[in-house]
Order: sequence, then C-alpha cells, then structure tokens
Amino acid sequence: MFDILSNTSHVHLLLNHVPTTAFVVALVLFVVSLFNGSEALKKAGLAMFFLIAAVTIATYTSGSAAEAWLRGTSVKSELPPNVVAAAIHEHEDAALWATLLMELTGFFSWLALWQWKSVKRLPSWNTPLVFVLAVLAFVAMSRTAYLGGHISHIEIRPDVVARHQACLALVDQEVKRPGSTPNAPENCPWQTAAAEVHAATDGNAANAPAEANAEAGGASTPNLARRVGDFVIGHTWMWPTLETLHFVGLCMLFTVVLVVNLRLLGAIKMVPVSAVYQMLPIGMLGFAINLVTGMLFFVGIPQQYNANPVFYWKIVFVLLGGLNVMYFMLVDDAWRTGAGRDVTVAPRIAAASAIAIWVAVLYCGHMLPFIGNAF
Amino acid sequence: MPFLQQIENTGFSQWVKQSGSLWAFPGILLLHTYGMAILVGIIAGIDLRILGLMPALPLAPMRKLMPLVWAAFWVNAITGTMLLAADATTKLTNPDFGVKMAFIVIAVITQRRIQTRVFGDADVDRRPSTGNAKMLAVTSLACWLGAITAGRLLAYVGNAGGL
Repeated sequence: MFDILSNTSHVHLLLNHVPTTAFVVALVLFVVSLFNGSEALKKAGLAMFFLIAAVTIATYTSGSAAEAWLRGTSVKSELPPNVVAAAIHEHEDAALWATLLMELTGFFSWLALWQWKSVKRLPSWNTPLVFVLAVLAFVAMSRTAYLGGHISHIEIRPDVVARHQACLALVDQEVKRPGSTPNAPENCPWQTAAAEVHAATDGNAANAPAEANAEAGGASTPNLARRVGDFVIGHTWMWPTLETLHFVGLCMLFTVVLVVNLRLLGAIKMVPVSAVYQMLPIGMLGFAINLVTGMLFFVGIPQQYNANPVFYWKIVFVLLGGLNVMYFMLVDDAWRTGAGRDVTVAPRIAAASAIAIWVAVLYCGHMLPFIGNAF
Repeated sequence: MPFLQQIENTGFSQWVKQSGSLWAFPGILLLHTYGMAILVGIIAGIDLRILGLMPALPLAPMRKLMPLVWAAFWVNAITGTMLLAADATTKLTNPDFGVKMAFIVIAVITQRRIQTRVFGDADVDRRPSTGNAKMLAVTSLACWLGAITAGRLLAYVGNAGGL
C-alpha cells in the first residue's frame, strides 16, 4: 500500500479519476435537481462539486510530481519508452484550465450552500452560474483526461493510429498486387508507428531528462504552465508580492477559523451561531487568495514541492479542511444554536478539528523550506 | 556598529541563526506567524464588522476575544525581538524595519482607541457604526496590511537575511 503511495505517478493515476468520473455523478445529481426541484439532490450536487474541487488541488499537484517521478533525478534517467513528453505538456496545460474552472465551480457551489443557510433563499444568479461553470469544468476536465490518456496509451493517439493504419494499407496493397510495392514492410508493429511520432513531435531530446533538454537548447517553445511559471520567477517583485498576499489570505482564513470555532467551543456564547457564520465568506475568500497565490508558487518552481513531504501533508490537511467545512454546511445542528446556548458534542468535535487542521496547514506551509527543500 | 554586532554574537543569537535546530529560527518564526494570524486575523474581522460587513454579528461580545489578541501581540513582540537579536546588524539597519515598526505603533494606538470607543459604547450594537469608528477601522486595516507587507519584504529588501 505504501509502496503505491511512494510512487507519485501512481498517486496521480488514482486521483485523476475523481475530477472526471465523480464529477459526472455530481453533474447528473445537480441537473436532475434543476428539473425535479429536489433540494436534497441539489445540495448533494453542490457538496460534491465543492469536495471534487478540493481533490482537484491534489490531482493537479500530483500530476507535476508524477512527471518528476517519471523523469527521475539521475542524469541517466529518461522517460519510459511509451511516454511522449510533448503529450505531458499538452495534458498539463489542459489541466491548468480545467483546475481553474473546477476551483471556480467549487467556490460558487460553496457560496450557494452558505447562502442557502444564511439568507434562506438562493439569489437567482447562483444556480445558472454554478451550472455554466460546472459544464465548462466538465468539458475542460474531459479534455484533460483525453490528453492525459495520450501520454502513455499509444493505441489511442490519433497520430500513431493514423501511421499504423497507413502502414497496414500499404501492406494490404502489397498482398493484393505482389511485387508492385517492394518497399512495404512485412507487418506493422505499433511501436514503429509510435517511434515515428516520437521522432516527429518531440525528437529524442524532449524525452531525455529536463537538464539535458535545456542543454540541447530547449528547441520547442515552453507550454502554458511553464510560461506562467516563468512569469512568476522571472519578475523580482512577483514572489514577495505573492507571499504578502498569501499572508493576507492566511489572516482572513484564520480570523474565521478562530472566531467561528471558538464560538462553537463556547467562548463567545452570547453570539448566536448563525451570526458568526456570516463571517464564513471572508474565510473562503482568504482561502481562494491562498489557493491562487499557492498555485502560482507551485507552477513557478514545481520542483520545490514535487518531492517535498511537508507539501504532501499540507495538501492532505487542506483536503481535511474541505471535508470539515462541508460538515458545517450540511449539518443543521449548529446553525440553529441561538444566543447563550451550547452546541452539541458533534459540532464541538468538528470545531476543535477545524482549529487543529488549519494550525497544521499553516505549520506545513511554514516548514516547507525547513523540513523540505522549498524557500 | 559594534553594539549590534555584540547582540548578534551572543550565544542565543548564534543558536537562533546557526544551530539548524527546528526549535531555533524555524520554530520562533512559526510562533511569529501564528501570532500574526491570531492578532491581525481577529482585529481585521472586527474592523470589517465596524465597516458594516456581517451586520448580524454583534460587536460587544467580541470584547471577550481581546485577551487572545493581546496575548498574540506579546507572543509576537517576544518572538520578534528574538528574531531581531539573531539578525541585529542587518535588520536594525534596514529602513524597511523602521517602516514595519511605524505601522505597528500606529496600529496598536488605533486598536486601543477602537477598544475604548467601540467596546466602551454600551449602544454599539443598537445603531450603525459612527464615522469616527469607521475611520479607526480603516486605519487599523491599512496599518496591519502595511505591517505584514513590510514584514514580508524584510526578507527581500536591504541586507536580506533569513526568510
């Protein structure tokens, strides 16, 4: 089991099924709720959109780690023979767009769940917005999955299939009219077609380790994710600005985590729980700022995080944080607790967990350069 | 500056800077970050409430969170002094550090005023915030934002050292 988890390529293959297959289920639930007006189905759809958006953070980051794992760190290491480097970069760019749309869907789904509780009725713009975002996210994620398949499945790459079939046609011609095409091969191995595509799309240099590729002059233009990353590391003001924003987002998140959960634990009991829940969008906005700035750090210097154990733990705790906030969105107990009243045991446990989870996220983020290798 | 050099040469400063222990520089900076999150987080939440966000949230009970806010402030004053001792020659001569301190001094004065004006007002939750309270809230938000920015930039401008 832990052997599997230590291979980040395998982790990515596990996680990439969530934003695709689970999202179809969520989309179906949501669309059915639009037709039959079922609140329970709609809530389930929105909650799934949010949780899938959380898992997508892990899916995206593990993808980068998967590439790093495949390339290896030794100067002698190279990509496996069935892997096409250019396909990885196409997949990465599609994933960047899909992740962006997925996170927007998650954010507005959460907002819908929150508005449900705090203003009782959803504003009219929210459902169409979530629907449009979810459909766009689904299309972008499907395209990402399709392009992801091209990385190692030569049998579904259109260019490989075309070459293979052209070869077969040539052989058939030879069989029908012997002697007329003496240069036709005797049979058509898939690997030959794949090798031709390798040579045509990225040459041998692109399949060599990254350093060797750079030495070869980096023949092809960098992909979108790399261009964004280069923008982040190419401007001296960028990193300090992003870090400052990351700290501002952290303060916004912490104010909510502390005030809301301290209330649930009984600290400012004279405030009704529904009143402290008014703060939640500030925390979610803080998280959104930190997700955007954090992702920009990640695409800037992915090698700082790809093999960094503290980063893995940070992502794990962020996912737990997502589950934790969903508990408060879906369970009504705490919302109805008025001024001067204590909440029941379950929300208290969830509140204590929330503080512990976000303290742990901050710990992991802070320790990235000290335990791991980031700065 | 021999005096600043002396501070930096003390056993404690050397331990913070060079021991490589997770309890030294990383641990002290971690406490400084937690302190910032609690201090600025709660204060900014109250400022936004004064400015009219989250109208259902009563202000008066927030007074109870003030001991936590000031505890966080003192944690940061102590850990900040420790970090300063470790980098005395570079940080104390960095103008950005002066900017950070100026923001914090104004922010602390503002916070004390907010506590007297807003928490001292028995009718605070019966009518909208006064213009004066809103001015204090804006000043507070701006100063803490300035302090965070100047603090973060200490690692990048002047004689940058540490993180």
